[in-house]
Amino acid sequence: MTPDQTNLLQGTLDMMILKSLALDQMHGLGISRRIEQLTKGTFHVKPGSLFPALHRMEEEGWLVSSWGESENNRRAKYYRLTRAGRRQLESETQRWGRISLAIARALEAS
Amino acid sequence: MPTLSRMKNFFRNIFAKRRNDGDLDDEVHFYVDLLAEEKMRAGMNPEEARRTARIELGGIEQVKEQVREVRAGAWLDTVIQDLRYGARMLRKNPGFTAIAVLTLALGIGANTAIFSVVSAVILRPLPYANPQQLIVLRETTQSVGPHSPSYPDFLDWRKQSRSFSQMAAINNREFNLSGVAQPENISGYVVSANCLSMLGVRPFLGRDFLPSEDAPGTAPIVLLSYALWQSHLGADPSAVGKSITLDGRSFTIIGVLPPNIRLLEKTDILAPIGVWAGDTDMTDRGDRGDMDAVGRLVSGASISQAQAEMDTIAANLRKEYPATNSGVGISMASLRDELVGDSRPPILVLFGAVVFVLLIACVNVANLFLVRGAARAREIAVRQACGASRQRLVRQMLTESFLLAFLGGGLGILFGALGIEGLRRLVSMDMLQGAIIGMDRSVLLFSGAMVVFVAIAFGLVPAWQASQPHVQETLKDGGRSSTASAAQHRLRGVLVMAETALALVLLVGAGLMMKSMYRLLQVDPGFRPERVLTMEINLRTAQYSKPEASSNFWRQVLDRVRALPGVDTAALGTVLPLSGNHNRGDITIEGLPTPDPGKFPHPDFHMVSPSYIDALSIPLLRGRNFTDADTDTASQVALINATMARRFWPNEDPTGKRFHFGHPGSTEPWMEIIGVVGDTKLYGLSNPSRLELYLPLQQSHPNDMFLVLRSAIDPASLTPAVRDAVASIDKDQPVFNVNTMKQLVDASVATRHITLVLLGLFSGLALLLAAIGIYGVISYSVQQRTHEIGIRMALGAQRSDVLRLVVGQGVKLAALGIAIGIAAAFGLTRLMASLLFGVGAYDPVAFVTAAIILLLVAIAACYIPARRAIAVDPMVALRYE
Repeated sequence: MTPDQTNLLQGTLDMMILKSLALDQMHGLGISRRIEQLTKGTFHVKPGSLFPALHRMEEEGWLVSSWGESENNRRAKYYRLTRAGRRQLESETQRWGRISLAIARALEAS
Repeated sequence: MPTLSRMKNFFRNIFAKRRNDGDLDDEVHFYVDLLAEEKMRAGMNPEEARRTARIELGGIEQVKEQVREVRAGAWLDTVIQDLRYGARMLRKNPGFTAIAVLTLALGIGANTAIFSVVSAVILRPLPYANPQQLIVLRETTQSVGPHSPSYPDFLDWRKQSRSFSQMAAINNREFNLSGVAQPENISGYVVSANCLSMLGVRPFLGRDFLPSEDAPGTAPIVLLSYALWQSHLGADPSAVGKSITLDGRSFTIIGVLPPNIRLLEKTDILAPIGVWAGDTDMTDRGDRGDMDAVGRLVSGASISQAQAEMDTIAANLRKEYPATNSGVGISMASLRDELVGDSRPPILVLFGAVVFVLLIACVNVANLFLVRGAARAREIAVRQACGASRQRLVRQMLTESFLLAFLGGGLGILFGALGIEGLRRLVSMDMLQGAIIGMDRSVLLFSGAMVVFVAIAFGLVPAWQASQPHVQETLKDGGRSSTASAAQHRLRGVLVMAETALALVLLVGAGLMMKSMYRLLQVDPGFRPERVLTMEINLRTAQYSKPEASSNFWRQVLDRVRALPGVDTAALGTVLPLSGNHNRGDITIEGLPTPDPGKFPHPDFHMVSPSYIDALSIPLLRGRNFTDADTDTASQVALINATMARRFWPNEDPTGKRFHFGHPGSTEPWMEIIGVVGDTKLYGLSNPSRLELYLPLQQSHPNDMFLVLRSAIDPASLTPAVRDAVASIDKDQPVFNVNTMKQLVDASVATRHITLVLLGLFSGLALLLAAIGIYGVISYSVQQRTHEIGIRMALGAQRSDVLRLVVGQGVKLAALGIAIGIAAAFGLTRLMASLLFGVGAYDPVAFVTAAIILLLVAIAACYIPARRAIAVDPMVALRYE
């Protein structure tokens, strides 16, 4: 909502979600907050994008979800990476590296 | 593995939908609650925190809907939901549904029926290998146009041409089939032995002709058509090797053709040309009978290359055989054009007409959807507010359209099947070039495509409407007058104009056809068709080869038939008017300069008994008729028609002038003209009269004649007695082509008649649909303007003012539509010029009449809503708002 928060680049949302779940399982708001933290507040994921992405990725087999107890003792849905999810994160990271390098070079060229 | 997991998800999503949804609800709520807690911790009061959290989320239902849409199988889920919802909507508005479905069904039904004809006659490939390579070749002379080649000429073509890989002569010939319950006349082709192999057809049973069976002296053998084999030999597989009696001669059956083989006309049998190749008419280069040549172009050769080569060959033949070939060229046409050329224009005009009807039907249904869409604006707004995305709403609307189109299409295909059945009864086999129309795969495919087209065509309108962002306004003003935006109203006006324009084009087309038909039936055929019965007798057996024998037979027939009760006049003639059959020949007239080769007068000639002109009431204008004394022993005489008299003796009396058949120096005897009779229409009412001359039966000895009976009673009732009389002379002699003259007149205009009837039907349908469309728009507009009308009346407007207001609105739309339609009709009626007779494609009467009819219908359609407008009570109307 705040003007200085950039919307996530098309296609990078999946990667950011996978990255945020790399260490531990998390629920929706947790993922959202983790992405903000990882990007030092640059990216803000709206629930309208987050939930569809989570469900889609779960159906892809990259995430699994389970119901558990939250910090405030509520029933919450937690997501964690599967092996396929980790592989996907790796390949996306590599792809991103290649793209950003290429773009950086392109922009440096005179 | 991903596919497997997707499938698992797919089934879970469909079958565990409720649990999934509950979980999703929990998940999203948890998110909001947690967000609110965060905000409270940051110092907001609980109320404020909850509100901000919800705003940040952007709507719980919207988020849930977005999640549902990404799930595997979401589409199926949505489709089922949409279908269920659509079906409910359609059930809730039975009137709307019935009108829409019926409208579409009529449009699709008419298209299905006409398309079955288009498919069978125009689109379906001929049942031959590479049919586009098949060319029909004819000889042509300047005075006659294309005509049959002689067999020696054909043989030279075949020998010399390189552009054709094969060439076959096909000679249309009738046969008398005897040895069956009732002797009958069948038609077939005498063909070169390579005919079937050239066409790429193999016999269904038995063998093909052998190359040696082109040679004179070939034993009589025959291939039967599949239909004849079924009807006369009980589809007996052992028929091959048996024999049948044709023209009193035994022919061995060597095989059966596959179904639906038809060369240029009805084909009951094929026989090899070798059986007759030694006959004098086959060896005479000047004898041009009833033969056509069909050739197969070598692959890669174009028709113009072949034409160039054939032109050279024709030039060589002219040089080599000046006596028979002066002025004779070669013309070519594709077999396909030769077969369907004449049928194409009426079929395409009718197809155009039904496409228009379908478009009007679509416009009408789109209009209905718009009206209903306006009424549903509130419902749509509520659904949008509840989280339905625009895309989702469009999909819902399209689903409803498809559902409707599907219902309409189903019913339409049923209508189409009935229509095809009707067409089968209405349209003769010859008009369809022997094609069998029916509900086959390509017709069904076409109908299916139409359903999709229709669904998209009228479905886009409500879909567009649903995507209009007006949630706020609609909800705010409670769904009362928010309904039709100005843009929508404009759209509806445009739709009504479009259908009025389409209807006008159809009306003009039907009007032109009607006027043509009227003009055609006013044409004097040159004879009186009432109470005249005709039937053909063709003496083909060896016993009648001597002139005395045939003369004797004809005399007996006339004597016995004249004695029958009810027969006033009995006569014989070789060519009936309007039949399109012909005998023609070049003649040389005494005392006139010799014409250039190819420009000799080429009259049609009739060989007739003296009573012929009386039986048909053809007037004798000058001189005398034939008598029984005009026999071989008397001097040769002839009658000519008025056209011929005008052409050659414009200022003098032709009686006493002389001519002979053939060219100067031939051995044909001179004939003296003894009288002039009225013209008759030989080639259909729409064609100009031609040169005709009549020869006395007893001087010309024809073997194939029509018996013409003028009777005091219903002519058709004479048939059995006449058949018996002929059988009492020769029991093996078939009597066929039995028709009253009235039937022949009707048959000669049948194609036009059917085209007119169907075009009239379609334009009537278009008119009805256009009227419904105008009615719908105006009555809706009156409903919308009730308040305004109330105010006007309260301010002193008279009923007549209100009437003018309402009717004026409809008339304005109709008038614009008519103007557009007239412009379109100007461009389109040109395409039907070949169907018209005695009326121009831009006939002002047809245009003006169509415009007036449409305008009157528009006024009538406005009348009911106008009455409703007048009945508005100003007080009620004002309170209503």
